[in-house]
Amino acid sequence: MGMKGYVMQLQPFSVNDGDGIRTTVFLAGCPMHCAWCANPEGCTQQLKIGWHIRKCIGCGACARVCPQGIGIDLNAEREKCIACGKCADVCPQNARVRMVQEADADEIVKQIQTHRLFYSYSGGGVTFSGGEAAMQPAFLNELTEQIYDLGYSMDIETCGLFDFEAVRPSLARMDLIFLDLKHMDPAQHKRWTGQSNERVLENMARLAELPAEVVIRIPVIKGVNADEENIRASAAFVHKILPHAKMELLPYHSFGKIKYEALGIPYDHPEFGRPTKEELEHLREIVRSEGVETADFR
Amino acid sequence: MAITERVEKIRQYYVNTKPHISYERAWAWTKSFQRTEGQAHIIRTAQAFKDTCEELSVNIWDGELVVGTSGEFRKCAILTPEFGWLWINEEMDTFPERGQDPYDVTPEQAAFIRENIFPYWKGKSVEEAFLARISDDTKKVGVDTGFLDTDSKWRNGIGEISADYIDVLLPKGYGGIKAEALEYLSQLNEAIPADKKKIDFYKSMVLIADGMITLGRRYSAKAAEMAEVEADPKRKAELEEIARVCAVIPENPPTSFREAIQFVWFVQLGGIIAENPLAWNPGRFDQYMFPYYDADEKAGKIDYDTALELVECLWLKYSEWAWTISKNTASFFAGYTNFENLTVGGTKVDGTDATNTMSYMAIQATRECMTHQPTLSCRIHPDCPPEFMEAVTELVSTGCGFPAIHGDRTGYQMLSNLGYAPKDARDWNNCGCVVPHSRKTFEWTSAASISFAAALEFALNEGKSRLSGQQVSLPEKDPKTFGSLEEIIEAWKKQFRYLVKQGVISLVTAQEIHKEIGHRPFMSACNEYCMKNGADLVDGGAKYSIGPVFTGVGLSVTANSLAVIKKLVYEDHEYTLSDIIDAINANWEGYEELRAKALACPKYGNDIDYVDSIARDLADFYYDEVTSYNDLYGNHFVTAFMGISNYLPTGKVLGATPEGRHACDPINEGVSPYTGSDTSTCLAALRSAAKMEHEKHSGGTLLNLRLNHDLVATKRGRANLGAMLQSYFALGGFHVQFNTISNEVLKDAQANPDKYRSLLVRVAGYSAQFTNLSKEMQDSIMARNAHEAF
Repeated sequence: MGMKGYVMQLQPFSVNDGDGIRTTVFLAGCPMHCAWCANPEGCTQQLKIGWHIRKCIGCGACARVCPQGIGIDLNAEREKCIACGKCADVCPQNARVRMVQEADADEIVKQIQTHRLFYSYSGGGVTFSGGEAAMQPAFLNELTEQIYDLGYSMDIETCGLFDFEAVRPSLARMDLIFLDLKHMDPAQHKRWTGQSNERVLENMARLAELPAEVVIRIPVIKGVNADEENIRASAAFVHKILPHAKMELLPYHSFGKIKYEALGIPYDHPEFGRPTKEELEHLREIVRSEGVETADFR
Repeated sequence: MAITERVEKIRQYYVNTKPHISYERAWAWTKSFQRTEGQAHIIRTAQAFKDTCEELSVNIWDGELVVGTSGEFRKCAILTPEFGWLWINEEMDTFPERGQDPYDVTPEQAAFIRENIFPYWKGKSVEEAFLARISDDTKKVGVDTGFLDTDSKWRNGIGEISADYIDVLLPKGYGGIKAEALEYLSQLNEAIPADKKKIDFYKSMVLIADGMITLGRRYSAKAAEMAEVEADPKRKAELEEIARVCAVIPENPPTSFREAIQFVWFVQLGGIIAENPLAWNPGRFDQYMFPYYDADEKAGKIDYDTALELVECLWLKYSEWAWTISKNTASFFAGYTNFENLTVGGTKVDGTDATNTMSYMAIQATRECMTHQPTLSCRIHPDCPPEFMEAVTELVSTGCGFPAIHGDRTGYQMLSNLGYAPKDARDWNNCGCVVPHSRKTFEWTSAASISFAAALEFALNEGKSRLSGQQVSLPEKDPKTFGSLEEIIEAWKKQFRYLVKQGVISLVTAQEIHKEIGHRPFMSACNEYCMKNGADLVDGGAKYSIGPVFTGVGLSVTANSLAVIKKLVYEDHEYTLSDIIDAINANWEGYEELRAKALACPKYGNDIDYVDSIARDLADFYYDEVTSYNDLYGNHFVTAFMGISNYLPTGKVLGATPEGRHACDPINEGVSPYTGSDTSTCLAALRSAAKMEHEKHSGGTLLNLRLNHDLVATKRGRANLGAMLQSYFALGGFHVQFNTISNEVLKDAQANPDKYRSLLVRVAGYSAQFTNLSKEMQDSIMARNAHEAF
C-alpha cells in the first residue's frame, strides 16, 4: 500500500497536454476558484459523487444501496451524501460516478505503466493536472519519484499558486511546466479567481531555476482577459523574466457545464465569450511581437 | 499536382455510373466449351480463354491511356456460369433494383442469357456439383444460413491469387511464358503415362499465352484504327502511343514505365476474363514498378507527374471492373468490392526498408482518385521512415478508410508459422482484405465464414435457431438446466466443433470439384512453380499450397455474452440462467433492467482481462479445432478473424444474445470490439485486440476503429496516430483500419446521396463508396464508436 491522495481521474490517451500520447493525472483541490473552471469537482479535496441526469434511467439501483437513504435525485439530498461510492458501483448506466476519490500512489503508478509502449513510441508520458497538481506536495513527490525511476517523461500543469520550496523536488523532475497566467492585473486576477496574482508571478520567475521547458498558458476568455492590453502586458512580462519560455493561448470552452450539472451546481456565465479563430490568431501575433514564441499542442 | 482533367473526367464517369452486366465473356466461353466436349478440362478452360480473347469487344474509351475492358461496357460486370448460374438465373431480373450492389441489365440481355447460355451449363456447374454432393445436414447449417457460409468457393470464381510480377510476368512476358512451355513440351513424351498430364498443362500454358498476346494485338489494332481518324492531334498521338505499346506487350517484357503499367493492367484483365475472381491481387506494386520508374526518370524519359497520371488511370481501371455477385454474397462483400489488393511499404527480402517513390505515388493516387479499388494496404515495419508514416496517416485523415495498415513483423510471423522460407515470408503482400499472402502461393484465403455467436445460440437453444425454431445443429439439453459456466462453454465447444466439421466437409467437397472442373491455367501461368512443376494450381503446382482459411465472426459478442453469464449468474448471483434465457427469448422486451445490467458488465475492447481472457480462450479453441483438420492436399486448415462485411448478415439470422444485443442486430467483425462497446480509449481497444495471439491466425486478423477526425487533423495528431500503430504492432497486432469521417457528414450523405457520390468509407477490410451501401450498412457504420481524445 502506498501513499494516499485525492484524485479526480486518470485520463489515458491525452494528446494536448505535452508531447505524444500521455496519461494525465488529475489531482483534486485548488487554491483558486476561477469562475470559468472546467473541472469544478476538483476545486476541493472532498470526495464527491456525480449524477449525470441525462444518462439516468431512473431504475433506482442507487437508492436501494444508499446507506444514507438518498433517493434517485442526489441533488435534492446532497448534504446527506458521504461519497461512499456504493451507488456508482451498482449504477448500470454509469450515471452515478465518483468524481473525486482517495487513491493509492502505487496503484496509480501501476495504471500509468499500462500504456508504456504508447509513451515510448510517441515520445509521450505523464502529465499532472487538476484541480491544482501542486496542492498535494507530498503525494506529488511520491508519484514523480516513482515515475522518474521508470524513465517516463513528465509534465505538469499548474495555476502557479503554490509553495515553491515544497514542490521544488517534483518540479525538478519535469520536462515541461505549463503555468497559467489568468490576468496580469492583480485586482482583476482576484476578481475572477479569488486570489491575487503576486505569488503566481513570483513562482513564474523562479521557474528559471529549474531545468524544465516552460509554457505559459492563458485561457483566453472574452469579457475577462482577452483584451489586447492584457495579452500584451502578459507577454512582455513573460519575455522579461523567462526569456526562453513559450506561450500558448487556449480559447475558452464550456465543456465543463456537464460536470456542473452532475454536481448540482448552477453554471450561468453568458458574459464569458469564446474568441474566434481570427481573434485568437491576432492575439498570438501580439505575443510574438513582444518577443515570445507561441506554442500549440493541438 | 492536382488531379489532371483527363483523370477527373474518367473519375466522374466511374462515380456516376452503375455497372452494366455484359454476357460477351460468358457467351464466348460457352460456345468454346460446346466445341471442346471430351477434351481435358484444363485444355478446355485455356482454349475458352483464348477464344474469348479473340471475340470480346475491343473498346478504347474517351481519354484513356491504359486500355482494356472485360466487355462492351466501360463499367463492366461479367458472368462466369461455369462456376454457378442458378443464382444468376434466379436473381438477374432484380439486379437493377436491389438495395446492395445493383447492376444494369436489360430484359433483352436476360432473355439472351437464359436462352443461349444457361441451358448449356445445366448440370455442369461447380455450384450444382457441390449441392449434389453434400448431405442435408451440411446444407441445413452451411448453405445460405449466416451460421456457416462457404459459397464463395462454389458459386463464384476463386481468385485469391497474387500474380508473380517479379519472377514470372514482367521478366518473361507472355511470349517468354509460351516459349518456356513449348520447351518443356519438347522434352515430354506422350507415350509415357506420367507425362500425359504435364503435356496438357503446358499446352494450356501456350493457349493462355496466345490469348494474352491476341488481346494486346487487338487493342493495338484498334488504337491504330482510331488514331487514323482522330482529328485532335494530341489524342491522335496518344492513340498512336497506345497502338505502339500494345503491339509489344504483353507478348514481350516491358521496357519502360509506360509499357509496364499497361502490362500490369492486361494481366489484371486476363485474370478477370479467366475467373471473374475475388481478391486478384496486384501485390507489391511499389517493388516491381520502381525499377521501371527509376530507369526512365534517370534517363529523362518520364517525370513524376506523368507517371502519377498513368498510375491514376490504372487505379480507375481497377475500379471500373465490377465483381458480379449474388444478393447474399453482396451482403457479405458490400460495395462492388472485388479486393484487388495492392501493397506498398514494408521491408525488402533482406530486411531493409522497401519504401520508394512508387510507395508514395500509390498513396497519392488513392488520395486523389478516391476510388474503391485498388484495396490499398501498407506494411509498417518498426524502422518505418517518418515520411512514409506521415503519408499513411495523412491518407487516414481524409476519412476514405484507406489504407489498411499492417504490422510487418506480424505478417512475416504469420507466414513463417505456415512453413514459408524466410525470404518468401519477408516478401509477403496482402490478399483480399487482410490476409498475409505471397506470389508463390495457392490458398483459399476466404473459404468459410463461421459464426462464434451462432454456436452460442445453438448451445443455449438446444441446437435450434432462435429465430426460426428449426433444428439446424446438434441437439443440446434445456439451457435452463446448465449448472456452471464451464458446462455452458463445453456446450459452446460442442456446437462450434460441429460447425467447423461441417465447414471442413463443405470445403473438401468443393476442393474435390475444383480438381475436376476448376482448373486455373491463367492463374497457374502467373505462378513460378506451376510452370516448373508442370502442374496446375488445383493439382498442387505452387511452391506453397496452404489449407483453406476459416474466418471467425462474432468473437466479441460471444465473449461478452459469456462474461455476462459468468458475472450476473455465477458470481453476483443476481439473476439465474433462466432469467437470461427468458430475456433473450423475449428479445429483452420486459427485461430492460436485466439488459441494463448486462450492458454494464465488462466488455471486450476496454483492456479488461475478465472478458478479454474469455475471448482469447475462444480464439485459442478455434485455432486448435480448425488446424486439426487437413484438406484434400494434406495441408491443415487455417484460421483468421477477417470480417469483410459479414457482421451484418451473420447478425440478421441470430436471436438476441446475452450481452444485451437485440435479435437481428449486427454482430462484430474480426477482432474488433462490438460496436459502441469500446467505451474506454482507443489505446484500451488496441490492447484488448492485441491479446488475440494474432500470429497464430495466419489467415489474417482485422481491427476496425472509428477515430474522431480532430485527432488526425494536425501533423502532430497524425504522428501520435503513427505511434499508436507502432505500439499496436509491437504488442503483436496485425492490421488496423480507421474511419475518421464525422457522423454529421455521414448523416448528410445519407440524406443527400447526390452530393456525396465519391465519399469513401471503411466497411471492413476494405473501403466502398458510402452511397453505394444499403441504409442498414450505413447505419451500422455510424454506430461504430468514435474514439475521441480530450
